[in-house]
Amino acid sequence: MQTNKNTQTSKTDRSAEKIKSFLSFKLDTELFAIPVMDVIEIVEVPPITKIPQSPEFLKGVINLRGAVLPIIDARVKFGFPSTEPTVNTCIIVLEVEINEEAIYVGALVDAVLGVFEMDENAISPSPTIGAKYKANFIKGMIKNDDNFIMLLDIDKVFSALEVDIVLEVSE
Amino acid sequence: MKKNILVVDDSESIREVVSTALEEAGYETTKAIDGQDGLVKLHAAQDIRLVISDLNMPNMDGISFLKEVRQIEKFKYLPIVILTTEAQETKKRAAQKAGATGWIIKPFEQNKLIAIVKKVLG
Amino acid sequence: MDGMRQIYIEEANELLDSLETALLALEENANDKSNIEQVFRAMHTLKGNSSMFGLTHISDFLHNLESIYDKVRIGELALSKELLDCTLAALDHLKIIVYSPDLEDPINKERHQQLSNEIQQLLDFETNNVPVKEDLLATKITASKTYHIYFEPYPNFFDDGSNPLLLLAEIAGMGKTVVVPHFKTIDFIEEFVPTECISFWDIYLETTHDEQSIFDVFVFVHDSAFINITEIPYQGLLNNPSFLEKVHATASTAAKMDIQELLSLSESLGINDKTLVEKSPKPNDNTVNGRIEKNKEKVASSVRISSDKLDELMNLVSELITTQASLSLFSENNKIAGLETISENIEKLSRRLRDVSFGMTLVPINNMFARFQRMIRDTAAAIGKEINFSTMGGETALDKAIIEKLVDPFMHLIRNSLDHGIETKEERIRLGKPEVGDISIKAYYSGVFVYIQIADDGKGIDVEAVRNKAIEKGLLGEGQNLSDKEIFNFIFHPGFSTAKVVTDVSGRGVGMDVAKRNIVDLGGDISIDSTTNIGTTITIKLPLTLSIIDGLLVNVDNIKYVVPLSAIVKCYEVENKLMKNNFNRLLILDGEQIPFVNLREEFDYELSCNLLSQIIVVYDGKHKVGISVDAIVDEYQAVIKPLGKYYKNQDFVSGATILGDGTVALVLDTNKVIDLHIKNTMKYAN
Repeated sequence: MQTNKNTQTSKTDRSAEKIKSFLSFKLDTELFAIPVMDVIEIVEVPPITKIPQSPEFLKGVINLRGAVLPIIDARVKFGFPSTEPTVNTCIIVLEVEINEEAIYVGALVDAVLGVFEMDENAISPSPTIGAKYKANFIKGMIKNDDNFIMLLDIDKVFSALEVDIVLEVSE
Repeated sequence: MKKNILVVDDSESIREVVSTALEEAGYETTKAIDGQDGLVKLHAAQDIRLVISDLNMPNMDGISFLKEVRQIEKFKYLPIVILTTEAQETKKRAAQKAGATGWIIKPFEQNKLIAIVKKVLG
Repeated sequence: MDGMRQIYIEEANELLDSLETALLALEENANDKSNIEQVFRAMHTLKGNSSMFGLTHISDFLHNLESIYDKVRIGELALSKELLDCTLAALDHLKIIVYSPDLEDPINKERHQQLSNEIQQLLDFETNNVPVKEDLLATKITASKTYHIYFEPYPNFFDDGSNPLLLLAEIAGMGKTVVVPHFKTIDFIEEFVPTECISFWDIYLETTHDEQSIFDVFVFVHDSAFINITEIPYQGLLNNPSFLEKVHATASTAAKMDIQELLSLSESLGINDKTLVEKSPKPNDNTVNGRIEKNKEKVASSVRISSDKLDELMNLVSELITTQASLSLFSENNKIAGLETISENIEKLSRRLRDVSFGMTLVPINNMFARFQRMIRDTAAAIGKEINFSTMGGETALDKAIIEKLVDPFMHLIRNSLDHGIETKEERIRLGKPEVGDISIKAYYSGVFVYIQIADDGKGIDVEAVRNKAIEKGLLGEGQNLSDKEIFNFIFHPGFSTAKVVTDVSGRGVGMDVAKRNIVDLGGDISIDSTTNIGTTITIKLPLTLSIIDGLLVNVDNIKYVVPLSAIVKCYEVENKLMKNNFNRLLILDGEQIPFVNLREEFDYELSCNLLSQIIVVYDGKHKVGISVDAIVDEYQAVIKPLGKYYKNQDFVSGATILGDGTVALVLDTNKVIDLHIKNTMKYAN
């Protein structure tokens, strides 16, 4: 099992601009980003043990250097059908907070794109019109080159509850 | 090279106070919880220059510990200082007879302890 | 020096706990010498530590107590209820002032003064209490002897700073003493050298110590004094006024007592040793008799270890076990000469290492029981009830951290029993029950859990009242039919208390709901069983979190599971077709009808194409159920890791373990699988 430790870009102290680093990843055709601070590491996908009778978004558990790590299928969370992993599929190991407790969880994503820096002030609020996902899961929108990247609130997205992130069309 | 002092006492509070005082004065310390443990540590450490020991301990008390140590050729002249409470003046004499180099009466002040240690170790 | 203070406080609390345990035990049996020794030692050490830290209030407070128990220890003083009660009160006071040793709080100061006076009185009373009548001596349990000690220091006695009075004081501490001082005659005052010792003594001692002990007092001064000890084989001399008159006659003269004269005097005045009732039979070796021998039994000495170090040790051991599993696998797959033996040896060693190190954080639940005993004793007395508190399975061990968190909920549950459960004496007599109420705690292991049952023989919980309250609160529909156990569960709902009056003793904010929450947080569960007028039993189930368990590794559709060995009764091989379309869901195994659970079906896997399945029959204390798996792989030592919050609902899996090949296997909670089966049976029955 190969592990790629993501490089943390240094947080330069430019007080006027609040520059933060983000990791972007892809689910199906959509792009998402999370603060690099919350990322522990990125690993390749080992055999995943599924727990019977568990919800679909819980893909199972893996062995991460001797610890048992739960894996969430991010595709399923965001309304995409589950697929077979490809060569680019990987797991982002995150630290999330659930009920005031810090827990490690792995997010199964289609591909990790890279790290980019962004001025926090340049993050626009998520659009309400044509929004695909419920507002409280998305912290904001980032425009990078030609792409729109959705910034996630990982504590909400990866909480243990089986909450629907996708907005029903009728709502 | 720091000089290593063995502190033998069944009370953790006393062990800590004594060893901290000694360490602050620039010595190295090894701790033991009773006479039995003291013997083990003495052999294991190989570089103990002075022993400070309580008298009242379970398993093997201070006097027995003294007698055992003095029987070992290597430790015949190892300085051993006894901690006693005032009420045990007579035990203090028994300790001297068993081979103690000196004694300190509990409770004692840090400076006094260090002064005695310096006097014994030079 | 804040860290030092912390160490002092920790050690002080440990000493006070050990003191309390010994005192409570002495209440039951005042003659147990080992407990008296424990009391004395705890007081002595705490006094020494306190004076070391300059906490004079505490060390002074302990001084007299220590003297009293020293006398008890050598048989000079008897333990009385008054003394024990006072000591327990002193103990409680000490528990408080350890944290505020300067007695700033006026309440503490007052209590301190009051207790000190009480202790002083007890000490004075006992020392002055001299048995006058001679026949009282006949009732002495231990044989005391009378000795004459002649002590004449040489003139140079003072030269090395020795003080003969200290020696006399030590002799006096060994028993009843009469000291007659003498001075050598000085003919000319000019000859008198003040630095020389001209005093000498005749000492008469009645003691249970033996001659050797008396001799030991003078062990150092043998070079500088003349000492002679003679046993006088007669009793009662030191109380005899004629004898005392005779020996004091030569006081302050140069004339020492002549031994022959002494012996004939004693014969005429004393009671011959042999006419006394000889030593009463000694029930146990603990009773003090003559030589105070060091307790030769191996006293279990202990060391305090920081819990961080323990956690680290545990993690390392777990990793070792996991790595060892890889080694086993490697050795199986690569036949290298000698490797298999080495791998097996490592497996045996790691197993033992695991048992020892995991045993370290496990603390017997006994410690907790002692605290409850105290609370029950005090509370019962306060509310006028008499309680018999019994415990079983005190040696059952739990993780130390869990035990700490259990104390509060348990206290609450026991208080409930005391307050609301056990009826008043009058009521109990009226119902034909024994006057003394029964509260018991029983602890035992089952599978990977520990069960603790708190039971009382009180008035029980009225199911109907609970049911009605639940309906009232909208938790239950009128027509709903629930079992008694399920109804009792409502008691754990916040704000549910059916107690009419919130008494001073219990029910103050700490409710059953909090107790349940504390237990569930630890990964456990709690349930109530009760019968009106018979009593109530509360069962608490807790996980043995530090789990490396022995299990059976099995395959169900390519996922590996571990079944704890402790739950397994027997394994069978069965043809699959017997399980298909089996409406009763029963198999006949060894002539017995055993229900079974088809895991493949349960877990929604495709039906097996195999011909055979393995049935593992497990037992949960009540039911035997067979669990079908595809294949049994091997016996396996599983280091259980928790699955975490995400899988809270999948409770039939109690954890996961990492196999030698790096993949994850799931640990089955067989009790839950059995529950699953029961649920299914009901489903099919409808």
